[in-house]
Amino acid sequence: MSILKEMFVNLGSKPATVLYPVEKVPVPEGFRGKIAILDDRCIGCSRCAVVCPTECIAMVANEREVEVKGKTIVRKKKPEVRLFACIRCGLCEEYCPTDPKAIYLTKEFAGAGTDKNITVS
Amino acid sequence: MPEVLVPIGPQHPALKEPVNFKVIADGEIIVRLELDISYSHRGIEKAAEARDFVRVVPLLERVCGICSHSHTTVFVKGIEEAMKLEIPKRAQYIRTIVAELERMHSHLLWLGVAAHEIGFNTLFMWTWRDREAVQDMLEEITGNRVNYGINEVGGVRRDMTPAVVKAALARLPHLEERIRTYAEMASQERTMLLRFRGVGRLTEAEALKYGTVGPTARASGVTYDVRKDDPYLAYADAPWRVITDNHGDVFGRTLVRVGELHESLNIVRHGLENLPEGPVRLQPPRAAPKAEILSRYEAPRGELVHFIRTNNTDKVDRLDIRTPTLANWTSVAVTLVGQNLADIPVIVAAIDPCLSCTSRITVVDRDRRETRTLTWGELRAHGIRFYREKEGI
Amino acid sequence: MEPWLLLLYVLVFPGFLFLLGYAFLLQFADRKISARMQARVGPPFLQPFADFIKLLGKEVITPSGVDRQAFGAAPLLAFAAVMTAFLYVPVLGGSPLAFQGDLVLVLYLLTLPTIVLFLVGWLSRNVFATLGGVRAVTQMFIYEVPFFLVLLGPAIAAGSWSISEIVLWQASNPWFVVLQPLGFVIALIGLQAKLERTPFDIPEAETEIVAGPWTELTGRRLALMHLTMDVSLVVGSALIAALFLGGPVSPWTFEPAWLSAALGFGLFLLKTFGILVVLTTVKMAMGRVRIDQLNDFGWKYLASLAMVQVLVVLLMNGWWSP
Repeated sequence: MSILKEMFVNLGSKPATVLYPVEKVPVPEGFRGKIAILDDRCIGCSRCAVVCPTECIAMVANEREVEVKGKTIVRKKKPEVRLFACIRCGLCEEYCPTDPKAIYLTKEFAGAGTDKNITVS
Repeated sequence: MPEVLVPIGPQHPALKEPVNFKVIADGEIIVRLELDISYSHRGIEKAAEARDFVRVVPLLERVCGICSHSHTTVFVKGIEEAMKLEIPKRAQYIRTIVAELERMHSHLLWLGVAAHEIGFNTLFMWTWRDREAVQDMLEEITGNRVNYGINEVGGVRRDMTPAVVKAALARLPHLEERIRTYAEMASQERTMLLRFRGVGRLTEAEALKYGTVGPTARASGVTYDVRKDDPYLAYADAPWRVITDNHGDVFGRTLVRVGELHESLNIVRHGLENLPEGPVRLQPPRAAPKAEILSRYEAPRGELVHFIRTNNTDKVDRLDIRTPTLANWTSVAVTLVGQNLADIPVIVAAIDPCLSCTSRITVVDRDRRETRTLTWGELRAHGIRFYREKEGI
Repeated sequence: MEPWLLLLYVLVFPGFLFLLGYAFLLQFADRKISARMQARVGPPFLQPFADFIKLLGKEVITPSGVDRQAFGAAPLLAFAAVMTAFLYVPVLGGSPLAFQGDLVLVLYLLTLPTIVLFLVGWLSRNVFATLGGVRAVTQMFIYEVPFFLVLLGPAIAAGSWSISEIVLWQASNPWFVVLQPLGFVIALIGLQAKLERTPFDIPEAETEIVAGPWTELTGRRLALMHLTMDVSLVVGSALIAALFLGGPVSPWTFEPAWLSAALGFGLFLLKTFGILVVLTTVKMAMGRVRIDQLNDFGWKYLASLAMVQVLVVLLMNGWWSP
């Protein structure tokens, strides 16, 4: 009996479906979405590339002066992420020594694309 | 009709993942069947030997999508045991909360799938709608709906802020009411009773003989739950009980899972309300000493076992995973004989198969173009010979 | 009736075109109401029509070794049968093609889709299709007996074998749903089984035998069989509305005859729609039963209750007949 009652109550109520993409789903803080890199902050330590489980981060040559603990040094490399190999585990963000993080995960969840080799840097 | 070979799988609408039943049916009654698994073998055990303890955890998470937290927890638990680490209480509680939330979402998923297998799509839609509440909780706590990435050797990777705790607690009352509704529906709805009662009956003796684990065994009266028999994490602190049932058929397994839903909710609530203060991780040593650890865990489907052998390096020397679904396949093969064809999806769904977690050895001889499976005796002899020759054991 | 008017009746309204349009409308209503009951959104209005057009354009695959002509003709046969059956069901007052015994003809034509499904399943050379075909015929044996028996009730009570005359009888007497409620319930159950909807969708059980006899139907053959099932739904509901709910007869007569006819037609639409809502609710509220359980249920309860109902009708007839 409770099944019938619930069915008729549902008939008169709003459906549970979220009509994406017209309606949007609220994304909570701390959601592990698309990866992004803040190039100004990066000191080229390569920790992210070393810790990445899928080895999707390659360190490419890129010289630039950066400030580390008050001293100015020359950074030799910067990270380049193969976007569709990233599993969004967040280990790179956790091991990045800068503050704010030079490599981090955003709240963007939609990520379909047509180019398999697209990179983020 | 004479005996017909009905191929159920490897692709079939009843199966969410590939498995092959070659069913010989006489009309509608099953006479015998042959079982062929291991379609989802991905070489994870071998891949784990090449990754250090930080990078192997995301790999192990992806053994299975539904029980991903189970695999990572049992692994890091084993490594912490090898390293003789005592992780902080707060980390234990957070791991327990996520584990029980995973159990809840798995059981709600199962309830929907069981209803779908008998054509009762309304209950399927409703349980999956309420499962979204659990998924939202997990998303707020861990950052993702599946593959939570919250475990690491030494504790958990993120903390729970008071706001997250409050939001999670606020979702629980509605969930509790819905679970109560489903408990009532599952035990009273006419067609569910008709399709589930008396189907796939497994006596207690048979359950023990064939090595079934998890809700499948508990529905036959076997009181075996790793959380009570070999306590780990924070289960000893929370007030909960093992749900068993004496029916032994698919109806009993339904009752056990719905009861476990209720108990899990209580454990989650207890965990959220009594979260101890303190750090959530400690820095583990880089390498693990030489040890052989058998780590056990009660996954949503039953007892999950990881055998870990470490050798003073920062990688595992050998990892062997025995998943609960692998243990339960024998019971499916046994209980299907003599049942109707229409009962196949019901009985298969009743063990809650997770085929990503299933793997067995099939010997493929390419030159002679034949396959065969090794018997237990052959396998044991092969293993002894292999290690004697290769490693002098 | 004048020949050109008859042609209009058969081809346009309330014949084939109206039938097709109404079949699509009822399928839309069925899917929308089912979805809303499950807290989903459901398809847009033109979805059934779009599905039909899409299927017509798909490739027709005949498995090797299957008789192509028989396989292609079978859905046409089923479709023709149910379309013809609709012509004898009163939609706008009595049917101009009515004759004594058209009830029997309609019931016979309505069984043809199931037999065609069995044929298609047998011809398919596919183990799932054969099993499904056998299940379809087994199910037919189980529900046809009670279904025919209770539809006999109104015929006996009204003393006529023509549906239009039964409808006319109900215009001046209580409806048969009041006089034979048990018959009404059994007729609805029988209709649900005939249309192979849950809890009786055993021949088509997706999770058990892939798609049963529908497995090897593709392209326009599948489109036609689907359409046949939708049209059967319309014909079945219209039949039950005519036999038990008084059909398209307006309770008040108005001066312009067309107004009465229009009101009657509106009531017909309402009654068939009401029957659809009941059938959809039953479909959504239950799971599938097994064929052996249906066997038990059908012979133990449905057949015996149907016989009881017919006995009651015979007794009442004997009592009240002049």
